[in-house]
Amino acid sequence: MSRLGFVAFAAFVVFVAVLPTFVSDFKAQQYAYVGIYLIALLGLNVLTGYTGQISLGHGAFMAIGGYTSAILMVGNEQFGGPIGGGVEDFWTIPVAGVVAGLVGLAFGLPALRLSGLYLALATFAIAVAMPSAIKRFADFTGGGTGINLFGKPELTGGLTGVTVLGRQLSFNDWLYYLAWTIALVAFAVAWLILRGRTGRAFRAVRDSETAAVSSGVSLARYKTLAFGISAAYAGVAGALFAVANTYVNPDTFPIALSIFLLVGVVVGGLGGLSGLVFGAIFIEFLPLWAQGEDLGSHLPGFLVDETKKPGGPAMVYGVVLILLMFVLPSGVGGLFRRVGEAFTRRR
Amino acid sequence: MRKTSFSAVVLAVIALAALPGALASPATRAADPGITSTTILLGGTAPLTGPAAAYASVARGAKAYFDSVNAKGGVAGRKIQYKYLDDGYDPAQTVQDTRQLVEQDKAFAIFNTLGTEVNLSIRDYLNAHKIPQLFAASGATTFGRDVAQYPWTIGFQPSYQAEGWVLGQYLAKTKKRGKVGVLFQNDDYGKDLLGGFKRGLQSSGVKVVAAQPYEVTASDVSSQVAKLKASHAGIFAIFATPKFAIQAYVFANRLGWRPAVIDNAVSAASNIMLLASEGGKNKAVEGTVALNFLKDPTDVRWKKDPGVRTYRAIMSKYAKGANVNDVYHVYGMAVAYETVSLFKRLGANPTRAGLMAKARSLNDPSNPFLLPGIAVKTGPGDGFPIQQGQLQRWTKGRWVPFGGIWTSKKL
Repeated sequence: MSRLGFVAFAAFVVFVAVLPTFVSDFKAQQYAYVGIYLIALLGLNVLTGYTGQISLGHGAFMAIGGYTSAILMVGNEQFGGPIGGGVEDFWTIPVAGVVAGLVGLAFGLPALRLSGLYLALATFAIAVAMPSAIKRFADFTGGGTGINLFGKPELTGGLTGVTVLGRQLSFNDWLYYLAWTIALVAFAVAWLILRGRTGRAFRAVRDSETAAVSSGVSLARYKTLAFGISAAYAGVAGALFAVANTYVNPDTFPIALSIFLLVGVVVGGLGGLSGLVFGAIFIEFLPLWAQGEDLGSHLPGFLVDETKKPGGPAMVYGVVLILLMFVLPSGVGGLFRRVGEAFTRRR
Repeated sequence: MRKTSFSAVVLAVIALAALPGALASPATRAADPGITSTTILLGGTAPLTGPAAAYASVARGAKAYFDSVNAKGGVAGRKIQYKYLDDGYDPAQTVQDTRQLVEQDKAFAIFNTLGTEVNLSIRDYLNAHKIPQLFAASGATTFGRDVAQYPWTIGFQPSYQAEGWVLGQYLAKTKKRGKVGVLFQNDDYGKDLLGGFKRGLQSSGVKVVAAQPYEVTASDVSSQVAKLKASHAGIFAIFATPKFAIQAYVFANRLGWRPAVIDNAVSAASNIMLLASEGGKNKAVEGTVALNFLKDPTDVRWKKDPGVRTYRAIMSKYAKGANVNDVYHVYGMAVAYETVSLFKRLGANPTRAGLMAKARSLNDPSNPFLLPGIAVKTGPGDGFPIQQGQLQRWTKGRWVPFGGIWTSKKL
């Protein structure tokens, strides 16, 4: 990271830290979700943006993380499973990352034989199968009824809030700081991985597999590694998602989530990290805006009326997405890069 | 970025978090949130998009009814604002939408949220915060049964177990023997119906020989229908939401399967049946039996009925462009009507606790949008507002009722 990049990152950290002071308690919760999506997008971008492997199944890895977290917290003895639970939510998050990462590594092995669209389809298949699989093993997962975390002692601050460093935080503020602390650490870790040898190998695989192999890059090693890292990120995001939702069930991680994540990466900009924040904002807020809520309510009156009609929100969502791809074909990250280049050229 | 500066950044986040003091203090409030001298805010979610989008009309019908009441001055001088957000039938989205309605919009109560899993996902949250989950639009038995554990939650429609039981009893009483193939949605809703149905069939000559689940996220149910046909069942029980129920009829017809069909109420609206009958070409639809509790606006019996007339007048004025023949609008109005009468009984200063107390002592024998003879009633030990229904048979493009009103025993 250049000096400029480091200053920008530090400024962003300060911005993230003070933001809840200026927004309502509820907004803090929405921004917490932005942080959670950011973690998933960082991981997906390692795989898709840097290594060139399209995944339409990251919602499934989030589901694995979410369920790992929920089951460790409240256990599954109530459904007839073997796990007693009782682990505090905070400590379930790294475990969820490890479990999802291992599953990702395991999935990465067969995925080696697939490329491009075939891999996209194979990953899509796990996203499709995941909700059914969770229901199938109801004595382990609780089935369609799901697992409630709200009001459980393992959930930090559900009703009462939390005291951190002598400061009383509401549940939503707690979620916000939890999600964003992890997101910023995840951001830094992703940056560290991608800047060095490993990142170069990932990019080589993306740009030309043949060239990568002839330069001594092991395809098998780096593709599976990318899958593992990426799934681990999704697992952490899934665990936080479960904690923030205070509830998981199979439909908490629908196919649409996997697609939204890919949309988020593309909007944020493939092969860049800083633009992903906007991808995460896009995932969290565009559905709301498209309903004429939040910022969407400041649109001209006739547009707000449109969003309230049957099919309106989906239309708006689609139109905005298409427009965005026209204006920013390489995502927000691409815009950053172009602005940066223009800036340096003038100097 | 060196290791030291990296941990410094992490520390900075935590330290900065501890600095500012913008805390939502637990302010002492005189009245419950969501009530002003001129308004009452009800919030809810509805599947405006997604696999269950056919039910969007439930929210629209309710909103139209509230708007009509508001135009006449509202209740005790307060206008009832009903704000519903799209959750796409996705519980994760429901949780976020509901939190927005409660924490940002300060809704007085969560009302008419539609879907079983959807309502389950917010039940603990709402009960912990003592916010009414009023007339949850789901027939899952738990919403009426577990009143002691969840005092802030109440359903509306007949429970799916009760409905299944009535359908089972009907078959048990009218057929000496038979084989039933069941298509059901793989969640609490589908399983409740199937459970009640099997109980209704108990010790009769009618047996369930095959039961095929489908996922709500699935694209179609063709393979399930083919398997049910292969089971040589003579009776086809459809416990599916509208999209899948229509497919079930269509696939059964394509396969040349002609079973006697029983359908669940949530998919038995006339407009759904007409779609399924493919303009009269699909003979599998004819003779379907289902349980109903609503007045169907397309039914000629109600042409001069004051309730249906009111319904049509309100729809033409407050839901312009909507399909008046869609019976889910009637459901919405029925539940909104009951809500308005609840608020009337609450008087000048409604509270959340007061609302729940009154909702637990409903006794309305004449909701104009429900079939005559069906009462909305709750009381100690009875958490189910509607427990009655009328069996009807699909005959030549419309529903024809038969037999009396069924009252389910407690299930």
